[in-house]
Formats: sequence, C-alpha cells, structure tokens
Amino acid sequence: MIRVSHLIKEYGTGELKQRVLKDLSFSIDSGEFVSIIGPSGAGKSTLLYQISLLDEPTSGDIYLDDRLTNNLNINEKTKLRLMELGYVFQDYALLPELTAIENVSLPLLMQGLSKKQATKKGQEALERLGMHDKAESVPSKLSGGQQQRVSIARAIAHNPKILFADEPTANLDSENSDLVVEAFRDLHKAGQTIIMVTHEMEYAHKAKRIIELRDGLIISDKHT
Amino acid sequence: MNAFHQAFIHRFLRPMQVGWFLATRQLRRSSKGTTALIVFIMVLTFLNLVVVSGLLVGLLTGSFDQFKKSYSGDILITPKPGREFIEESAQTIAYIKNDPNVANFSARYSVLANVRGSLSENAPAKEKANQAGGAIVGIEPSSEEQVTHFSKFVIKGQTLESGDDNYILIGANLIKEYSSFADVDIPGLELLKKVSVGDKVKATFSLKGETVTKEYVVKGIVKSKVDQISQRMFVIDSGLRRLLPVNEWEVQEIAVNAKPGTEPAVLASLRGFTEGKLNRVQTSAEAIPSFLRQVEQTFKILGNALSSIALVVASITIFIVIFINAVTRRKFIGIMKGIGIEPRAIQFAYVFQALFYGVTGSIVGLFITFGFLKPYFDVHPIDFPFSDGVLAATASGSAIRVAILLVVTLFAGFIPATIIVRRNTLDSILGR
Repeated sequence: MIRVSHLIKEYGTGELKQRVLKDLSFSIDSGEFVSIIGPSGAGKSTLLYQISLLDEPTSGDIYLDDRLTNNLNINEKTKLRLMELGYVFQDYALLPELTAIENVSLPLLMQGLSKKQATKKGQEALERLGMHDKAESVPSKLSGGQQQRVSIARAIAHNPKILFADEPTANLDSENSDLVVEAFRDLHKAGQTIIMVTHEMEYAHKAKRIIELRDGLIISDKHT
Repeated sequence: MNAFHQAFIHRFLRPMQVGWFLATRQLRRSSKGTTALIVFIMVLTFLNLVVVSGLLVGLLTGSFDQFKKSYSGDILITPKPGREFIEESAQTIAYIKNDPNVANFSARYSVLANVRGSLSENAPAKEKANQAGGAIVGIEPSSEEQVTHFSKFVIKGQTLESGDDNYILIGANLIKEYSSFADVDIPGLELLKKVSVGDKVKATFSLKGETVTKEYVVKGIVKSKVDQISQRMFVIDSGLRRLLPVNEWEVQEIAVNAKPGTEPAVLASLRGFTEGKLNRVQTSAEAIPSFLRQVEQTFKILGNALSSIALVVASITIFIVIFINAVTRRKFIGIMKGIGIEPRAIQFAYVFQALFYGVTGSIVGLFITFGFLKPYFDVHPIDFPFSDGVLAATASGSAIRVAILLVVTLFAGFIPATIIVRRNTLDSILGR
C-alpha cells in the first residue's frame, strides 16, 4: 500500500540546514494499523506529512499502491488526498462556520456527490462514530472529544484507502482519548488502513504495529 | 457527455458548487454587524457612483429639461444663421398644423428693440439711461400657453391675452430690481430701473431701415432659469405684425410639441418638408447652446473621475475585508486544501462573498436611488442659478455602474483569496 524508499527531509538552507528525516525506508500493507511514536523532535509528524502528501520530501521516493507520488503536481496530489486519503488532525481542524454534518459532507461534495448523497453518507459516517445526534451542531457547541469524532467521521466518510491521524488524542482527556482510539480500532477491524502519530504509549499499543523514530531514524519497527 | 463538458464540470462547475456551499455558510454564520457594515460601505460606494455624478449631470439635465419645456418644445424651427426669418413661414406653419402627430406649436416673431423705462428722453447727467436693449417676442398667447405653459413664468402682474396689443411682459433680467447682474457693473449692460406692473415703457424698433416707436403698459414681469424667457420681452404677435413692416407669418421661431412617442416621426417629417429651405429643424437637445453641452461633458468627466475614486475605495475596502478574512482563516484554508478541497473552490467561496457584498450594496443603493432620492429631487430640485438640478440617474446608466462595481468587486475578492490560497498547504495548517 505505502512504500517509502530513502526518504530524506531537510529544512532550512546553508548553515541552518537541518535534516529531520534521515534516509528512511519502510512499507505499510493494506489493512494495517500502524503507530508512529518517538520523543518530541524525532520527526514523527514530519514523516506523516511526507507520506500523506501534505509536504514534499527533499529526496527519496514515496509509492502509494505502487504509484510513485514524487512526480504528481499539486492538483493531482489534491485529488489523490480527496479521493484516497483521510486526515485527522491534532486540533480537530473542523471549519467553524459549518455544522458537523456540513464538515463531514464537504469532501464528498468536492468529489462530485449531490448534496443529498453527501449528507446521507455524512450521516452514516457520523453514526459510525456515535455523533449522529450532533449533526446540526457547529464545532463551538461540541466538546473536544466530540469534535475529534466528527473529524474522524469527515476523514472516513469517503472510504479512504488510508487514514492518517496526527496526535489525535493530544488535546483530549483520557475518557475522550479512549473513545477516539476505540473508534480507530473499530475502523481497523473493518479493514481500514490507519497510520497514527502519537507520543502516548498507551494508545500507540492499541495499533498492530509500532514504528519508533528517534532523531529522524527508525530505531524499531515491530508488531504488537 | 463529451470531454469538454466533463472538463468544465471538473474545473469550474464542481468548484463553484463547493465555493457556493462554503460562501453561503460563511455569510450566514458570520458577524451580522460586520456584514451590515461592509454592505453599508458598498451602498455608499454605489451612491457615490450613481448619485454624485447624477447630481452633477442633473444640474445640466434640469437646465436642458427647462429649455425644452419653457422654450424650444420637442422640436425648434429657426432660420439658418444669417437669415432673418423662417423661409416659407406660412407654408411651414400650415404643414405643422396638418401633421396629425403634432400636439401643439407656437410661432414667434422676434425683433430687436430698445425699451426706455422713463418716458423722459433725457436721463440725468452721468447716469446710465433707464433703458434696456433686447428682443421683443411676438406670441399668440393661447398657443404659447399650450407649448410652454407660459403663464407660470409671470412672477408679477398677469400674462398676456388676445387683444392686449398695448401691453408688454418684461423679462426679469432686464429690470435692475430683479436682475442677477444688477450688483455688478458690466460695461454696456443697461437695465431698466424702477419699472413695475402698470408702468409705461417706450419701445423703439429698427427694422428694414425703418424706426418705429410704441408705448406699452407693463402687464407683467416674467422670470425663468431659461434666458430666452428672462432676457426677452413679450407682446401680442398680431399687434407686432400691424406695427412693423413685416410680412405676415415671417416668424423667427416655431416651437413644436409632438404627441407622445411620435417625436422622431415629426422630426423626420419636418426635416423632409424643410429640405432645400434655409431653415434649421432641431430637436431640443440639438438646439441647446453648445457651451452648455460642453459643461455637461465636463460634469460627466468630473462625475466619472469621482466615481473612479469611489470604485478604487470600494475595491480596496473589499480587498482588505477579504484579505483579512482569508488571512485569519489561513489555517482553515490550509486544512481544506489538506483534505482535498480544490483551491479553485476556496477562491470561488471568497469571490461569491465579495459579490454578495457588491450585489446587496447595489440593490440597496438602487432602492435608495430610485425609490427615494430620484423622486425626491424630481419634486424638490436643487435650486441652482441656471437650472433646477435633478438627479440624472437612468436604469441603463445605473445598470452599467452596477456591472462595473461587480466586476471590481469580483477582482477585489479574487486577488486576496488567490494570494492566501497559493500559500503552502502545510505552512497554512501549521500556521508558520
């Protein structure tokens, strides 16, 4: 599903140049639930941004379904993110002026579904996350945990091939964090490929595979 | 569906639909006060575009309108320059009478004369004589009343009636007590002094080498913002004809009013009839002195210049509003791009919002202009020295200005949205 080969990411230029990811190579199969862990500054989120096509690597190759993504232009990457990838951000990243159902429906509308179809699929996604009764609420009326579950619903509503989550529990209390991670486990059981960045070992171990980074290098890659 | 249609849907229609979806929600859930303020600014901009230039031009439009209603009628027939009277006046008048599209007309004689206010021949030494020179116009009162409603110009005394051969109406600008020029000493300008209704004046005509003098009783004083009323004197045409060595129907002016909607037909008919004759057949607009048309052009340029400034202010306002909106929402724009929303859809969202401000401002502005300001100025015109200024705002002119405003608004929304949308997606999401 994902194959990363000799991935290098550098920030800055000249003396300020900093290599954040140092020649990483690994692959993730379809249906896997992978946690990427490591201390702060290890390069976890940077790695997630590269493989989720939100950022451009300095060098190295990233393949999605054996398709090299390096040569895709901005529009092609945008379309790929829309059609095949899903994102859950640390701070939920819901659009404040849209209701929960509108937030979830938005990518579906962009895919070309009618408003009715998008709303129906959005409702189904909210229902999977137990948020269907909050469909008409704007984010400011929802708790952090509820917002994150809406965010997950948005990420999975279009049945993406891969779900990326960047520290999805970082802003949540333990009760809501449990709910979110349980939601990921349920999705995984249903066959969803999930790649989650976290610094919380308790939740990292809910995944079936843990890739540990330190100083831009993979120091361990093991199945739980 | 062919490839072109599919490409159009993918590139424009779908982003437009998503842009509309985003724009309507952003507007619906944004601060009502901020939205009202932006719309208010757009209303002021629209009024600046339409009303300021409309009032400037309206000063002249009012003047032209009065020229038409008070003097020329729809069509004015005069001799060609250098000629004394309308060639074949009698036949021309007969032709006009028989034209079924003519509503009414007034044929006028116009003769230069000197009028003395004091019947004493010798003015006191070192004082200007109590006299004024100008045109004495012979009119048929009932015809003139039909064409220009002449009696409404009488500010003192009474209007002329048939048989008033010994009476005269004097234009206010020829009498010192009424004239706008009385307080300045213009060399050569002579005005009648202390002449009022009931006084006697003596008119001296010089025509075809003959000098004729006649005493008139002042029956009234006429005043209008049209010089052809305030700077001339009026007597009964038949009396003038008997007095002077003129052939009957050698008139100098014929003012013609056409029936509604028939002015072009009457004009064409009269031009056809007078072809080959030494006469001029002009519409009211053509008969207006050229300097007034030049003033109108100047006012139009001034109005457009002021409108341009208003447009620049409006575009900057919209630009700033959209730019600030987009900058403060940069993170969300990044997130939208991150989850696959096309940049074009986000641009459309901002363009639609900008257009909403422009359209709403224009609609409110149109309502204020045509529902309140124009009717108000029609009833209460601005009292300008040479005209009653109205608001010159037409539907077509306003439509053009609305279109210009919307185009400017469109760009003012598109450019800042594009600037923000083009920024790196991840930088936007992470706020760096």
